[in-house]
Amino acid sequence: MGELKYEISQNAYIKLVLHSLRHKTAAVNGVLVGRISPKDDGLVEISDSVPLFHSNLALLPPLEISLIMIEEHYVAQGLSIVGYFHANERFDDVELCGVAKNIGDHISRYFPQAPILLLNNKKLEAVTKGKDRSPVMQLCVKDASKNWRVVGADGGSKLLLKEPSANVVLSDYISSEKWKDVTDVDDHLDDVTKDWLNPGLFN
Amino acid sequence: MVTKREETQLKELENQVDNGGGGAWEYLCLVRKLKVRRSEKVLKHGSSILNDPGKRSALGPDEWTLYEQVAVAAMDCQCLDVAQNCIKVLQRKFPDSKRVGRLEALLLEANGLWGEAEEAYAILLEDNPLDQAIHKRRVAITKALGKPSLAIELLSKYLELFMADHAAWRELAEIYLSLQMYKQAAFCYEELILSQPTVPLYHLAYADVLYTIGGLENLISARKYYAATIDLTGGKNTRALLGICLCASAISQLSKGRNKEDRDATAAAPELHSLAAAAIEKEYKQKAPAKLQLISSALRSLKL
Repeated sequence: MGELKYEISQNAYIKLVLHSLRHKTAAVNGVLVGRISPKDDGLVEISDSVPLFHSNLALLPPLEISLIMIEEHYVAQGLSIVGYFHANERFDDVELCGVAKNIGDHISRYFPQAPILLLNNKKLEAVTKGKDRSPVMQLCVKDASKNWRVVGADGGSKLLLKEPSANVVLSDYISSEKWKDVTDVDDHLDDVTKDWLNPGLFN
Repeated sequence: MVTKREETQLKELENQVDNGGGGAWEYLCLVRKLKVRRSEKVLKHGSSILNDPGKRSALGPDEWTLYEQVAVAAMDCQCLDVAQNCIKVLQRKFPDSKRVGRLEALLLEANGLWGEAEEAYAILLEDNPLDQAIHKRRVAITKALGKPSLAIELLSKYLELFMADHAAWRELAEIYLSLQMYKQAAFCYEELILSQPTVPLYHLAYADVLYTIGGLENLISARKYYAATIDLTGGKNTRALLGICLCASAISQLSKGRNKEDRDATAAAPELHSLAAAAIEKEYKQKAPAKLQLISSALRSLKL
């Protein structure tokens, strides 16, 4: 896989982080939605995200139904599922677990450039102290032998925040406990009145 | 595990207390009774009672229970000085208490002093080898250290002694699932279904695991357990209804190319699929009409 740039929009980025903050004691995951940039096929635009689950991430039925519904919804906007987000249960766990890799593999069958974004809790902690402007997620891509690896700072591919002040906005939302308002597919499956699209979250 | 009615009751009380409508003590008692994790609220409202001498003495002997409850909640919220203070009060009132000893060990855990906590629990276990809470804390420590295989070992040993501890079986199942050890997780749910056959959650979880393992036999089984869940929940469980549709689709894909008799056997109850789909659409029409088109389309794609 050549060197790709992944540009994540503020809303997509913040939604996923808020989701992990809502369920601090669990592993959570989500999908990235977007497209290859029409102007630059080395750039993947991640324009939205959908938080998926906060329990039993390894079960297939809820995942299958989610992916069908999400693809169905976004295809009308010319967008598709372009990647996967995962936040581990423990604070200092920066490993990609089997579940994350499997889901990443599945998504990359339909979108070969799909990355996995892994939440970095130390960086997230630093954000609330107002220091870092870089994303609080680690970028993971598939290498030539189809194995997932974390991209280091010197790696070819990059994860960029589309809006440079995204972490400032994130920090504000954390202070105002905005994470209480995030709904995921798990919530929806328990109560269909809860909307996993989170309309009005950032109004 | 909490029923929907209990959850609603809890939320109502929570809103009432949050908005200054009183009922803090009732809320704290309910949280204790339901064994739910509401540490921030417990810390906030519990502390406000404990910091008010009038309210505190009105509790009588329950005062000490509240100190214990707030101590644990404080540790969960990383307010370790509050926890320390509560524990000091309890130490003064109940010197040499094993129950307070457990709290002291828990505080060591909260401080990340895993070795010391493990030692403290080992000492407590010498006098109380059958203290379930302590056994489970030892499992919790292994989880915190990121050693799931050790957690499984300890939890399995625990369950040999305390095989009626349903929460422990569920915890073990979840650890297995996080490691993608689906067959072992299935075994746990089998134990739970055997001991509590009328709890729909276990049938649903078992069905989900069977579907995940895959293969025709498991899919047919999964369908049965989704059906059992629907039966036990009066048709109200969306996950089970969706499970039926997913099974029907997967089964029909796997039985393509088999001879007619085989296919008939596996296609038993084709009405089940249509009924489930209809029930789902009805629910969305009533409660989430904006998503009706989406779910109908999704269900149609499962019929192919």
